[in-house]
Amino acid sequence: MTDSDTPLIEMRNIEKSYGPVHALRGVNLTIRKGEIVGLLGDNGAGKSTLIKVLSGAVPYTSGKIFVNGKELTLRSTNDAINSGIETIYQDSALVPQLSIARNLFLGRELRTGPRFMDRMDQTRMNSVAADLLRRVGISKNIPPTTPIGSLSGGERQAVAIARAMYFDSELIILDEPTNNLGVAETQGVLQFVREARDTGHSCIFIAHNIHHVFQVVDRMVVMLHGKIVADDLSPKTSSIMDVENVIMGKNQAA
Amino acid sequence: MTETNSAVPPSQPKPGLSNFFIATPELGPLVLLVVMLVVFTAINPAFLSLNNISNALTFTVELGLMALAMTLLMTSGEFDLSVGSVFGFTPVVMWTLFNAWGVPLFPAFIVAIAVALFIGLASGLFVTRLGIPSFLVTLGMLLVVRGTALWLTSGFPQRTWDAGEQWLAEVLVGDFYIGGMRIYMSLIWFILAAAILHYLLTKTRFGNWIQATGGNPGAARNRGVPTKRVKVALFMLSSAMAGLAGIISSIRVSAANPNSGTSYELEVIAMVVIGGTVLTGGRGTIIGTVLGVLILRLMRNGIVLIGVPGLAYNIFIGAIILGMMALHAGLDRRHNEGV
Repeated sequence: MTDSDTPLIEMRNIEKSYGPVHALRGVNLTIRKGEIVGLLGDNGAGKSTLIKVLSGAVPYTSGKIFVNGKELTLRSTNDAINSGIETIYQDSALVPQLSIARNLFLGRELRTGPRFMDRMDQTRMNSVAADLLRRVGISKNIPPTTPIGSLSGGERQAVAIARAMYFDSELIILDEPTNNLGVAETQGVLQFVREARDTGHSCIFIAHNIHHVFQVVDRMVVMLHGKIVADDLSPKTSSIMDVENVIMGKNQAA
Repeated sequence: MTETNSAVPPSQPKPGLSNFFIATPELGPLVLLVVMLVVFTAINPAFLSLNNISNALTFTVELGLMALAMTLLMTSGEFDLSVGSVFGFTPVVMWTLFNAWGVPLFPAFIVAIAVALFIGLASGLFVTRLGIPSFLVTLGMLLVVRGTALWLTSGFPQRTWDAGEQWLAEVLVGDFYIGGMRIYMSLIWFILAAAILHYLLTKTRFGNWIQATGGNPGAARNRGVPTKRVKVALFMLSSAMAGLAGIISSIRVSAANPNSGTSYELEVIAMVVIGGTVLTGGRGTIIGTVLGVLILRLMRNGIVLIGVPGLAYNIFIGAIILGMMALHAGLDRRHNEGV
């Protein structure tokens, strides 16, 4: 995990204000290749703002972002996706009415025939989706034409993560992926996150449930009042209690 | 319930009649249409006569064009109450240009459609840029457009044309006979529009974007789908189709009445929802809308033929809407309990 190469993501001195609200105060964050970083912090600490900045959903006020050592300006979610950053939000990852295959390729649909006909290659989309479902082990016998709405919560997360892996996103940001999931489903999703790392993807994992975070991350970053107050907590050397104290700002030692 | 034993069991959709009905929203309206045909014909065989069908289809097409475009707009999660006003206003623009300004018919047609497109653009921008619900925006637009039509014409119908054949009129509403059945060109336009929009909704990338925009706008946006532009484009399409339908109607009846199309918006929305398109977006079907269009039209035609007073028409339409919605709600509830 210790990699002396160029970090995948480097955020330098990122500031973000919403009017009078100073949501991010000089944030420096580095994500190395192939690591899972847990992002922790209480409500309003700035986690979601940081994620929105990194996924191109909101513009930042100042600071610099480097991806693979190259400075980037993230102006839209498309900019982020094109630079290999994929964000999976808990409620807005998938469209329930559309099939697995159509969700997988949403916004990146495969085309066939002359361009002005704008025709989707549904046969190829379905076969890629079926193949992917089999590979990630959630296939059982779910056809790729099944609407997302009839899948369970865990299966939906799995589809969203599989999509990020298929498009070779270098960084997958998971926003509360284990929320509202049962015990077995949570384990399934955590296993999925480990697989994503083992195939070379980096992850930022956000969850309120510290137990889930401890099971899967290599390193934890804690935010408080718009700043990063700890960025190298290891689940091997810190206890859950230590981390909770940092989150609440009780002491800085860990 | 599913949480506790969700170890693996993939929720494979269960076979069965109710699931088939849900997967095929067109089935309900299709059954209704067949029942209507059988009942009306049994009571009065004249119902199935060529003459009657030809008559019934003519007017249908004009509302039908609006319903087709409205289907896509509603699938994207919005709707347009101003289509009835645009239906009345667009031909007024065209014939005023032609009669009072001496503009040739085809350029006048283009200008009128451009005006309709602009009305759609304005509604779309109000909805997407300012975040005002489409109900309010298009209600305002309904009044502005209707008011403009009345003010421009002082409330009087516009003459259509003085003399001579116009090729545009022939192309839009000319007629021909197939084996004794009189077919209007407008029917061909309707079939063509239905085929193109069905293809657009089900086979194209843009169709996928329309469904995603209505189904989960957040997810669509996160995947880089330009949801605002999708909606604006569909508002423009809806408005342009309403304008085209209005022009076709004005040529057929040889008058552009600034009051025509009043309350058509509700009939159009009724056609779309009876066909199985969801008012809240995400799921829509052109085939269902075609069935909905035929159901409403044949109902209007049929109840007169079997001797029910025409004034009772709305009772039947209202009952069909309530019945169809109850059917879909019931199926959805059973489906959700089953999973």
